[in-house]
Amino acid sequence: MSAERYNRQIILKGFGEAAQQQLLKAKVLVIGAGGLGCPALQYLAAAGIGHLGIVDDDTVSLSNLHRQILFTTPDIGKLKTEVASKRLQEMNPQIGIVTHPIRLQKGNILDILSRYDYILDGTDNFESRYLINDACALLNKPLIFAAVSGFEGQLAIFNAADNLAGSTNYRDIFPVPPGKGEIPNCAENGVLGVLPGIIGTMAAAETIKLITKTGQPLNNKILNYNLLTHQQYIINISQSSDYVLPKSVAEFLNMEYQDTSEAPHGYEEIDTAALTKLRQQESVILIDVREKHEVPVLDKQVFTQVPMSELNAFITKGFSQKHVVLICQHGIRSVAAAETLQEKFGNSKKIYSLKGGIVKWRDYFMRP
Amino acid sequence: MKIEIISFGKIAEFISDQKIDIAEIADTDSLKMHLETLFPELKGMKYKFALNNQLVQANSIINQNDILAIMPPFSGG
Repeated sequence: MSAERYNRQIILKGFGEAAQQQLLKAKVLVIGAGGLGCPALQYLAAAGIGHLGIVDDDTVSLSNLHRQILFTTPDIGKLKTEVASKRLQEMNPQIGIVTHPIRLQKGNILDILSRYDYILDGTDNFESRYLINDACALLNKPLIFAAVSGFEGQLAIFNAADNLAGSTNYRDIFPVPPGKGEIPNCAENGVLGVLPGIIGTMAAAETIKLITKTGQPLNNKILNYNLLTHQQYIINISQSSDYVLPKSVAEFLNMEYQDTSEAPHGYEEIDTAALTKLRQQESVILIDVREKHEVPVLDKQVFTQVPMSELNAFITKGFSQKHVVLICQHGIRSVAAAETLQEKFGNSKKIYSLKGGIVKWRDYFMRP
Repeated sequence: MKIEIISFGKIAEFISDQKIDIAEIADTDSLKMHLETLFPELKGMKYKFALNNQLVQANSIINQNDILAIMPPFSGG
């Protein structure tokens, strides 16, 4: 270990050589190399975490760059784990970095997590968050949880006891994930790049505090942070008896996490190439489930307008087409609509949802 | 009895931080019903109460000047 590299934190009162050695011995897995993961990885690598793992199966895209600051414009299209690993290794060649360019699922997560001592969740969806929570609880791994919404962030540490009580996990706060249909609207909330920068950096700080037993990490606490006001509100988490956690690997493998790859929906998410093919078939109805005021306006001769608020009435009235393609702005409401139709029609109709919605395939919808 | 309400995320879009008078309400279960009547958007959303910084896991008595936080889950990254 180069003492000079870490000199400024080693000389810090209350930190010192011993804490630095603990960082060097620590094995930390960061899940999601996105808005939260990038700043967390940078500070964890710079601080000298000896073994750093990165999980992400995604590639860099242009709209990532305003907040995912490990990546540069020429990196677009490259695997995030590869770019991140290279940058971090250049920043600190003295640490070991392992990349896992995969999507975590029931079948692989326990194996990967068991190789690490601390898990940092910087993912962007509830399926992953519940999967990671349950896997960490089963393996008894401390979990640093970071999440953002709008101008606000949440930060917590699970599966790490404090001196007052045993440990808690995410299900002690929210026993079950919100259903897809509960998402109030389709438009992505958007995020100011600096917000995950702050929350991701705070997550790195919590990881370092937890490893080195410095200060008061957020064990059994959840911090709510508001970027607009800088207000912070800490809530103490107590244990709940309101949920069931898998107690064994067999039970874990039987859990339902709505992995698209493992649990068939009964409807299909498609791209515009598949949509083009479908449109040539007979007995197809294309349904635009957006509200009537939303733009761009699609050709009403081709796309039947059925806003979400009128969907149930439309289903009750019934229609004859066998293939149903649902379309909305971002492909989220159309999934909720697909689930509703699936429940109603089962296998008697084939249901499709346009993945990514009109925004993703703007050229397709806007061409003359 | 007056209490203070603070809320986060999507919930803050329709319940602003405010002091409210809850004359007839004595506990968190009744307050939940009251708030869901006042703010129908709350119904069908996942959220959790915290009373004076303690997560509410069972019906709890509310006292004058208590602070009730309403927290939804965040998943973004």
